[in-house]
Amino acid sequence: MLKKALSDCGIRIADCGLPIAIAEFGLRIAEYPIPKLLAAIAFRNPHSETRIRNPNSAFRIPHSQIRILPSAFRIPQSLMPYLYNTPDDQREMLRAIGAESIDELFAPIPADLQLKRSLDLPPAMSELELDRHLQMLAGLNDHAAKKVCFLGGGSYDHFVPAVVDAIAGRSEFYTSYTPYQAEASQGNLQVMFEYQSLITRLTGMDVANSSLYDGASAAAEAVLMALHAHPQRRKIVAPASVHPQYRETIATYLANLDAELVTLDCPGGVIDADALAATVDGDTAAVLVQQPNFFGCVEDADRASAIAKTAGALLISVFDPISLGLLKRPGDYGASIAVAEGHTLGTPMSYGGPYLGIMACDQSLVRRMPGRIVGETRDRRGKRCFVLTLQTREQHIRREKATSNVCTNQALFAVRASVYLAQLGPQGLRETASLCLQKSRYLAGRLCENDRFSLAFAAPTFKEFVIRDAANDVDGLLRTALEAGYLAGLPLAPWYPELSDCLLIAVTEKRTKAELDGLVHALSAAPARQEALS
Amino acid sequence: MRNTRDTQLLFDLSKPGRRAARLPACDVPERPPEELLPAGAIAAAAPALPEVTEPQIVRHYVNLSTQNMSVDTHFYPLGSCTMKYNPKRNERAAAMPGFADLHPLQPAETIQGMLHVLYEMQQYLSEISGLAACSLQPAAGAHGEYAALLVAAAYFRDMGQSEQRKRVLVPDNAHGTNPASAVMAGFDTVAVKTLKNGGVDMADFYAKLDDRIAVFMITNPNTVGIFEPAMRELADAVHQRGGLVYLDGANMNAILGVTRPGDFGADMQHYNPHKTFSGPHGGGGPGAGPICVTKRLAPYLPGPVVEKELRGASCEAREDEIAPFSPLSPRNSQLHRYSLTSPPKSIGRVRSFVGNVGVLLRAYCYIRTHGPDGLRAVSENAVLNANYLLSRVKHFLPVPQGDRCMHEFVASGSRLKAERGVAAMDVAKRLLDFGYHAPTVYFPLTVPEAIMVEPTETESKETLDAFAETLFRITGEDPQLLHEAPHTTPISRPDEVQAARQPTLCCPVF
Amino acid sequence: MKPADLLYAKTHEWVAVADEGGAKVATVGISAFAVEALTDLVFIELPKVGARVQAEQPFCEVESVKAVSDVYAPVTGEVVEVNARLPDRLEVLSSDPYGEGWIAKIRISDESNLAKLMNYAAYQKQCAEEGA
Repeated sequence: MLKKALSDCGIRIADCGLPIAIAEFGLRIAEYPIPKLLAAIAFRNPHSETRIRNPNSAFRIPHSQIRILPSAFRIPQSLMPYLYNTPDDQREMLRAIGAESIDELFAPIPADLQLKRSLDLPPAMSELELDRHLQMLAGLNDHAAKKVCFLGGGSYDHFVPAVVDAIAGRSEFYTSYTPYQAEASQGNLQVMFEYQSLITRLTGMDVANSSLYDGASAAAEAVLMALHAHPQRRKIVAPASVHPQYRETIATYLANLDAELVTLDCPGGVIDADALAATVDGDTAAVLVQQPNFFGCVEDADRASAIAKTAGALLISVFDPISLGLLKRPGDYGASIAVAEGHTLGTPMSYGGPYLGIMACDQSLVRRMPGRIVGETRDRRGKRCFVLTLQTREQHIRREKATSNVCTNQALFAVRASVYLAQLGPQGLRETASLCLQKSRYLAGRLCENDRFSLAFAAPTFKEFVIRDAANDVDGLLRTALEAGYLAGLPLAPWYPELSDCLLIAVTEKRTKAELDGLVHALSAAPARQEALS
Repeated sequence: MRNTRDTQLLFDLSKPGRRAARLPACDVPERPPEELLPAGAIAAAAPALPEVTEPQIVRHYVNLSTQNMSVDTHFYPLGSCTMKYNPKRNERAAAMPGFADLHPLQPAETIQGMLHVLYEMQQYLSEISGLAACSLQPAAGAHGEYAALLVAAAYFRDMGQSEQRKRVLVPDNAHGTNPASAVMAGFDTVAVKTLKNGGVDMADFYAKLDDRIAVFMITNPNTVGIFEPAMRELADAVHQRGGLVYLDGANMNAILGVTRPGDFGADMQHYNPHKTFSGPHGGGGPGAGPICVTKRLAPYLPGPVVEKELRGASCEAREDEIAPFSPLSPRNSQLHRYSLTSPPKSIGRVRSFVGNVGVLLRAYCYIRTHGPDGLRAVSENAVLNANYLLSRVKHFLPVPQGDRCMHEFVASGSRLKAERGVAAMDVAKRLLDFGYHAPTVYFPLTVPEAIMVEPTETESKETLDAFAETLFRITGEDPQLLHEAPHTTPISRPDEVQAARQPTLCCPVF
Repeated sequence: MKPADLLYAKTHEWVAVADEGGAKVATVGISAFAVEALTDLVFIELPKVGARVQAEQPFCEVESVKAVSDVYAPVTGEVVEVNARLPDRLEVLSSDPYGEGWIAKIRISDESNLAKLMNYAAYQKQCAEEGA
């Protein structure tokens, strides 16, 4: 029938011989080879159909009926850069298996469940084409070298030393997997052990795991830890000065559990200690404190810690690793669990991920800590070595009773963080923190020379600050600054409607005085109120 | 040359006064920190980090790296982990400043290229799974499972069934993340027995299936590398009871373009792009765990998701997007605008920002490199390689599931154990001596002395032959030699009991 | 305590019942057979004093490097004492399972389950069958 239809259209089967169709497109209609042109069209538009007309009849060929030829030798090897098997190899292997074709190997999949067409995806690209395509797409983005970045809010444009890329680019690190076989993974295991050690030194905490996904999910895991540690207590208190996305993540994690997230307003930009004391009670499992907080303000962490302790609740500290070059460590103010977004330690902003979830805690909580942990031991010959340990906490052993479902860690970024911290050393970290502090405070001061701008909060800040626009035109400011080449800051309206006239500005050690002055100039030059664009 | 010398700890290299980094001088007027910060907030001293030079750092870490086996250096047939080759072009692409140096909260108009990639990834993943909608948020496979179960919980809450539907059924050979995720999402888990061939025990399944079911989680192909024979029946039965079917996408490498979870009854699935789509494993991470769901579950997906607008109006989701010309050519960029939105009834976010974009970018490169036929060829060759290796191994290491598999198989060392006292672990350790990473052992728990082998498609017949011959040779070796293996690695077997009894988890500060 | 004088649960816990001030108190541990089968224990999570436990329900966990095992309460009652030194010297579970290796004392509130426990001979027979 089809054959007739095709020949009615003047297409002779012999003209579009099977070998051509197989080699170039590998498509047939039912059992009949199809012309090259139709194959190409169908390949691109599998949901569509092609109408073939001749003077006597019109015939529609639904592309869904065109299917890939079931053959082991269909794919020209030249298209597949990572495959080894030549047609000869495939034949030989099939013979050893005792199968006629590769399709036979898929026979356990019932025929009616098999896909009878090609996936609706764009055709394969060579490396050169792919590179060109991605360069084009990357070129559409205003990255940090094109627009000066003053954005913060949990992701920061810190400098990444070359040595970090060099080490993390070792494929023995990035193409290995979880060190289940300790004898073949001492490199990774020692790095993880050293990472844990670096994090305990950085935070002043007893123990650290070998990392979680990111800061927000680490905070949520910390909350779950606290709830498990205090099974009778069901309340988590988080001030509004904790990153809104972290609070949202915690809320998601708690949605189906018998627990409540209580948000404490922070009209002054920092925790109101009296309000905190009034909120925290005997039902409170944990209190979160972000230091410096989402607004960049330095909290009175000692006070918050004392309030939590008095009520018998755990203090969860969300800290900025860079700030610890200057600020007290979570362990210094009595945090039970400390979590952080660790991308700032040697991983670029990468549009938000993958990042590094840092988690450290009290010794007493170690068996409730999620994620992988590496420990030191000896091998049979008495040599010091490292292994994954305390694995009974984890899902692969304890299944539904595990401390968490976390399976992977962010090992490669723990490598990056380790190299970064080693490269900076105590002095380098202090200087980096100091540059952030000095430059951000300089910028804040310069901006406030203009009557239009003022600091929204009186509390001292570290590397971020909230500026209020008396003209209440944050969007206009951002637009003007963008045109001048600056990503000037984050508008706070989406998270804090009451701060819709405010902008959160972050300054890292990368920003130069010229850039800071340039931003001041750009913002000061902004017209007080632009009419809405047509 | 292999470096098997004692490797000192980073901290042992430290000497006061050494440093590797020099920061620029402060170019703004400085004030003492005590004037800028409250006295009570300032640390007495900087953290006790090691003081080392850059050459020390490089030598230390490069030497450590050589103590790892990795895909780039060794055959790594670690079952269920899909240790395939990690293309270098992907690495370079992800490092392009136009992708790597973007802040996650930049205005949408400054990141249209990035959003284009992410939007297309949503489309591709939906198409490969046969499911309508996609969220790229979750950071890992387990995180994806968890997010999808939260989606299910939100859906049932909306249906007014959250009190009734509390049970998640999980086959007993599933990854441990399945039951752990279910409990985190507030469900009770019920284990369903499996048969020797790895398929679900239907009698046990029906005994445990009732109107309390929320979700049935299934790994298909399952953890012994078999396509679930009763897939359709299982899915239909779950749907009939009003439950949802979750597909653990760990084994997608077997079925790309061959069959689609949405077509065989799944309502939700996650992907492991670091496995299936060649994002490197990074020594344990990062991965990513994007999820796809049916249309009725789409409103509950974690946000944000990328939306494409056509001159301000939301355009047809499946509009033809594969034209050979650039979709962002000047003509088109006036028509399209990408933005981030939160689905209307979203469960919320499960992490900060959009997702593990760097991993997704690599997966994007991989999918674009292969195209539809190439992806199918990936699965065909993965399945061919696994079956070939199975055919070579089964003669001396029985494979209880039978003569055929999908992308991996589970051999059993129980005969070896009974006859020669050699454990699966001994075999695994001895393989290291021959320069092979060990297969996964003792998983799944349902196969005694399990040796789980996944060769992947990016290995040659020659490698598989040599591996099979080595395995054969090992099964005949002196048991004592095997108990003490490995013999040539940087360390011999570690004392894990000591490590767990008296944990030393960090290097103390002196 | 001599193994022969003790009662045993199917799940390998041993029990020694004594009268203390009119109440029956069971001292509970795990048998030498079980300790050996569990191999190299690394951690024990003791029950809390005051906890109410139900016969045949888990009340304590022991861990080896790669496994977690529940210890089941052989009797119903209230935990009145735990062997607080045990977690720091788990080796006594192997060296002296019926003495220093005791886990907890439970004041029995319902004696009905005592009848289900085995004597030494019956338990030895069970072990022989399982070991085979």
